[in-house]
Amino acid sequence: MNLADTFSHLWAWTPYLLGGFGLNIVISLVAMLAGTGIGWILALLRVSRHPRQVRAALVVTEFSRSIPTIVFQFYLAFMLPVEVQVPFTTLILTFPVWIKASLALAVAVVGFTSDNLAVALQEWKNGNHRAAFLFVPSWTSYALIIVMASSTASIIGVSELVSRCNTVINATGNTQLMLPIYLYACLFFFAFCWPLTLLMKRISATLARRLAPRQGETDPGTSERMPVTGG
Amino acid sequence: MRSVLRTACLALALLACALPAAPAETIWQPAPSDRLKLVRQRGTLVVGVKTDYPPFGMLDADGKPEGFEHDLAQDLADRLGVKLTKVGVTGSNRLQKLQEGTIDVVLATLGDTAERRRIVTMIEPNYYSSGVTLFMPPRASAKTWADTRGLKVCATQGSYFNRTLQQRYLFELEIYNNARDAKLAVKDGRCAGYLFDNTALMNDLLQPEWQGYQAPLPPTLETPWAIAISDKERGTEFEKFIGDTVADWHRGGFLVEREKAWRITPSKFLADARALWTRKEADGSPYCRRAPDGAWRAECRNKVFLTSTDVSGFTQFGLWLNETTGLNLSLIYDPFDRVQFLLGLATTLLLTVLCIAGSLAVGIAGAVLAESRHRAVSGLARLAAVVGRMTPPLLVMYLLLFGVGSMLAARYGISLPAIAVVVWCLSIYTGAAVMTALLEAAEAVRHDDPAFRLHWSNVWRVARLASASVTASLINVAKATMMASAVAVPELLSATTAIISDRGNVGVMMNALLLTFLLIVFAVVRLLRRAERAILARVVRP
Repeated sequence: MNLADTFSHLWAWTPYLLGGFGLNIVISLVAMLAGTGIGWILALLRVSRHPRQVRAALVVTEFSRSIPTIVFQFYLAFMLPVEVQVPFTTLILTFPVWIKASLALAVAVVGFTSDNLAVALQEWKNGNHRAAFLFVPSWTSYALIIVMASSTASIIGVSELVSRCNTVINATGNTQLMLPIYLYACLFFFAFCWPLTLLMKRISATLARRLAPRQGETDPGTSERMPVTGG
Repeated sequence: MRSVLRTACLALALLACALPAAPAETIWQPAPSDRLKLVRQRGTLVVGVKTDYPPFGMLDADGKPEGFEHDLAQDLADRLGVKLTKVGVTGSNRLQKLQEGTIDVVLATLGDTAERRRIVTMIEPNYYSSGVTLFMPPRASAKTWADTRGLKVCATQGSYFNRTLQQRYLFELEIYNNARDAKLAVKDGRCAGYLFDNTALMNDLLQPEWQGYQAPLPPTLETPWAIAISDKERGTEFEKFIGDTVADWHRGGFLVEREKAWRITPSKFLADARALWTRKEADGSPYCRRAPDGAWRAECRNKVFLTSTDVSGFTQFGLWLNETTGLNLSLIYDPFDRVQFLLGLATTLLLTVLCIAGSLAVGIAGAVLAESRHRAVSGLARLAAVVGRMTPPLLVMYLLLFGVGSMLAARYGISLPAIAVVVWCLSIYTGAAVMTALLEAAEAVRHDDPAFRLHWSNVWRVARLASASVTASLINVAKATMMASAVAVPELLSATTAIISDRGNVGVMMNALLLTFLLIVFAVVRLLRRAERAILARVVRP
């Protein structure tokens, strides 16, 4: 198989692969939104004045940080029902498997949001409004990590990019296509994540410049999880 | 007189008993089926089929599923007057999907074994049959099964024969997720052969890609294939409908005709079955018919079930737990499962340690190189970090193991060990994050000391600033080691899914798995935090 052949193959399968990557993005978005919502509530509880609420929120956060998302994906895939009949109706709700992948990833997002937003909320309370906004670039960076992790949904049979690569290789029966197609898929992820990272770096740099220089802090724009003082 | 009366009474009583039973002799009244109701309600029959098992189930050039079994599925839906939805399943998830209700029917090269009959309802009659053989490279010299003893053999997850043959021939099994990966592993020399159904392998041998490959061993463990439905549907009209349909397929020659249409080597099983099912009684009624209890006449049933359950080694406690609470914790009473689980645990722990060490090494080395005075070295290191962070490790694993691995094997005869590839990929991905944290910390140090440049000797100076972020990354890599299950490393997740596909004890095993992993992660977090504190205490105030 020569180079032109390879490219024409890749080109022919591009719409199919793009569809798969679209699913990666959707899975990640749903995970981020669901996880941020719940994490937000936890963060609010953590900065509240009731020690009991603070402790409860910390315990939940600790768990959501510790559950490995891949195992949890399997857990949900095996344990959640697929079709649920809404009581008293004939309506049947289906739980597609990608939602399960999203939910599993959302657990990690809950831990992240709880930790980082608690810091931001504390800053906001102290009147340090700009510092609180550093949560935004940090959140976006985490979203990219989730996009990377969404590829593991292929293990539970979600037809996203990685799993579609395997499908294509199976369908064509062409093992020489393996190297190019996996490289091509890497390119998808890279082309999506890199520009966003550059943008976020710029935003957080701008934010950092506007802030009064505070010593001893790493750039939150890229750190995965900031330690919470007093937590 | 009295005795006559008594005889009459007895006769009457007998008649009374016999009367209601009489119609059941000819018409069996199956229970109504919830699933069939659901199928009719939604207007579609959802059938789990294979897409990686040509010509029984595969994807055509446009990616559309087709094959021998797909035709059968279509006929089932047509007879019900509903639409057909096909869901691709694999050997490891087809029964799961049936149990959880994702699919109504499994029609996916499913071997009819006694073990599986406990988990799902197998429809009789069987519609096909196959044996097990070994797909071997051209250079292989084995002629009998005995020659294969102790060899490293590839297999696919969820195949019923893995365990039996592993025990019989002491194989060192390497379990892959799908047939393609396993065959490539044979090609790359990662294993001596691929253990699989002879029907599928015969078809592979015809492909130009596998020219010269062979399946020299006589098929063993001949097993019939059955359509399966959920175990809740046992004895319902759904079971009866499919059973009658398969019987009709045998009688009408539909199966033989489809076999020919897909150019499958004619099987003795189908020919025999056709002869049996078309046989007539003297009065012209079919020889194979249902008994009053709904089961087919014994002569028309297949009794070649495997008895794979080992009754030895049961311990009192595991059985007691199973009997009193229904918790099928086979880990406790079955030595095979226990060893498999413990080996998985050991592999996972090894992976965790290697990945944490690897990530730290890659991160520190990368950061030092990125701070190098040589522009080229520094630029390359930074670029590598960006690429490392922006490509999903799972994808890179596939790329290295299958893309690069098959090339290496073809050109130089080198085969990459899967576990090393996993450690490498996860170390690069996490190492890039560690490196970024170190570089950011170095940047922060430069605020006070503009001449600062990260070097092997002064990594301690960034330790305090970077430690939180680095520790978080290392905890993440510990959580990510399960990715290894995707490339046949026998770690905990693989071990668990293998046990589930043998036993069907999903709930128990999944909870055991989650609990085990939570404990591992908690332990890793504690240990890393302790190490972090110890290092910081020594390093910050030297």
